[in-house]
Amino acid sequence: MIFDSYEAFRAVNFTAKVCILGSGPAGTTIARKLGAAGIPVVVLEAGSREFSDDSQDFYRGVTVGDPYFDLDITRLRFMGGSSNHWAGWCRVLDSQDFEPKAWAPDTGWPISRADIEPYLPEVHEILELPDFRPDVLVSDDIRWVQLIKSSAVRFGEKFADELDRSRNVAVVLDTYATELAGDGKRVTGAKLWSNGKDPGSFTADYFVVCTGGLENSRLLLWSNQRSNGGVVPNAAALGTYWMEHPTFEGGNAILADYSEFEVDATNEAFFSPTLAAMERLEIMNFGIRLIETPYPGIKSIIADLACTVPEMAEWVSHQLSQNLRCAAQLYVTWEQAPLASNRILLSKTDVDHAGVPRIELHWKKSELERRTLLEGLRLFGTTFVQKDLGRVRIANWLTNGGDYPTNEELAGHHHMGGTRMGTDMTKSVVDANSKVHGMDNLYVGGSSVFCTSGECNPTTTIAALACRLGDHLGKVIGA
Amino acid sequence: MSFFTRKISRRTVMQALIALPALSLVRKLPVADPEAIVEVNGWILKRGDLT
Ligand SMILES: Cc1cc2nc3c(=O)[nH]c(=O)nc-3n(C[C@H](O)[C@H](O)[C@H](O)COP(=O)(O)OP(=O)(O)OC[C@H]3O[C@@H](n4cnc5c(N)ncnc54)[C@H](O)[C@@H]3O)c2cc1C
Repeated sequence: MIFDSYEAFRAVNFTAKVCILGSGPAGTTIARKLGAAGIPVVVLEAGSREFSDDSQDFYRGVTVGDPYFDLDITRLRFMGGSSNHWAGWCRVLDSQDFEPKAWAPDTGWPISRADIEPYLPEVHEILELPDFRPDVLVSDDIRWVQLIKSSAVRFGEKFADELDRSRNVAVVLDTYATELAGDGKRVTGAKLWSNGKDPGSFTADYFVVCTGGLENSRLLLWSNQRSNGGVVPNAAALGTYWMEHPTFEGGNAILADYSEFEVDATNEAFFSPTLAAMERLEIMNFGIRLIETPYPGIKSIIADLACTVPEMAEWVSHQLSQNLRCAAQLYVTWEQAPLASNRILLSKTDVDHAGVPRIELHWKKSELERRTLLEGLRLFGTTFVQKDLGRVRIANWLTNGGDYPTNEELAGHHHMGGTRMGTDMTKSVVDANSKVHGMDNLYVGGSSVFCTSGECNPTTTIAALACRLGDHLGKVIGA
Repeated sequence: MSFFTRKISRRTVMQALIALPALSLVRKLPVADPEAIVEVNGWILKRGDLT
């Protein structure tokens, strides 16, 4: 059932066991799982069926630190959430991403990749993905990895009919959960804002917060403040360890004929380091996106080469003239070192129309990441030399120690951390089952539970974790 | 200013100049490993590329 307003929902007599906040990929996936298990669920969705400026306005906020996207641009607030404009690039976090890294503090998950693998077949169905091919070792240091560019499932569109027909799932649109109330053991209700008014509170036995990787922290911070710690009793880490995938053009390359990897339909190939290389260099994970450029692109690179090392230009013409293939741009995306100082705070001065403080996002890239970017490109360039795949040139701003360019992509719109999963209550908010520490009936879905970000796009892993949480909750409730 | 120096940044010229003695040194020392990795003006090369 889909209701366009809270008033319409209230007119029917539907008692929910579980209340899910948010209908993005995480919330919709958990709702479908519970509905299929015969458990009555309400999904409260702040937005309506369509984009609206008024709804987006609730997402405004400020960023302190490095340049970042406007917070009302980097996500969408209507049915289906940010899946309404995601690009559909898919990959699951590597098993090495779940492991602690001795050289990077506060890394390591309380679960391993094996814990989410059983859910991947479901995820492939949800996201309409073919099977992933295994990674290919190009050298001891570099893997050719696969990023599937999927059809970008819009969760609101794809599942609208199914949800509308469901007897167990009620999606209630235009219903903003402004605050959860809790007594330090249980959430006792959700305070709502619908159609510009306060229609009262909603109660259910269980609550699952799936409002997105920025909003999950905001909602819980505000709720906790209002109920004196009654919603997140162990709140030391709440809002902290927020992460993105910074993305910059790091250089270019001349490619020889190669057989070690293939480019995809849009002439791109993706590379990441092996764990051994990360360990040796003490760097984070990264992804290099190699984009083959048309032949004319090569001219400027060779001209640069000729100016820098005339002998090298000769090498290009003599040794590569037979098999010179083309040039490529190299974009690098990397895993951020998890830092407690990268965090979401509540604004002290600015509130939305419902009176909820807006987000103040504190975000800065670290030295370790800068080293990851530079050493990562060197590693990639070395593999290219050793395997005679071509030659790599690292961009001037990187070798000169210059500032990050400000006219580029900046990051991936991937909002991770803030309610991390873990066992140490001073550094995490939820346990290995995504249940808020110390609370009996409060769970969190989405990438805010990520302990580390890996280098790949998050939504495939979000969907896998959502299937796992749906299964877990089904068992808890059924028991 | 010549066309050459106008087209190429001062820094690039300096880097090329800095690199040159090393290159001639390599030429005089055939024992140097031609497979060794060198970085010149951001290019990741093998020493053998420079001979
Ligand atoms: C431009 C862009 C491109 C992207 N491309 C990719 C990609 O290629 N691959 C990839 O893996 N990821 C990509 N992403 C990220 C991806 O969109 C997100 O990871 C994903 O949508 C997160 O799902 P979610 O369910 O956790 O949150 P969201 O999608 O943010 O959904 C949250 C939902 O909760 C609702 N909500 C918010 N607050 C409340 C509240 N208080 N009460 C009730 N409801 C509320 C919102 O309206 C929304 O519907 C991209 C994102 C953007 C912006």
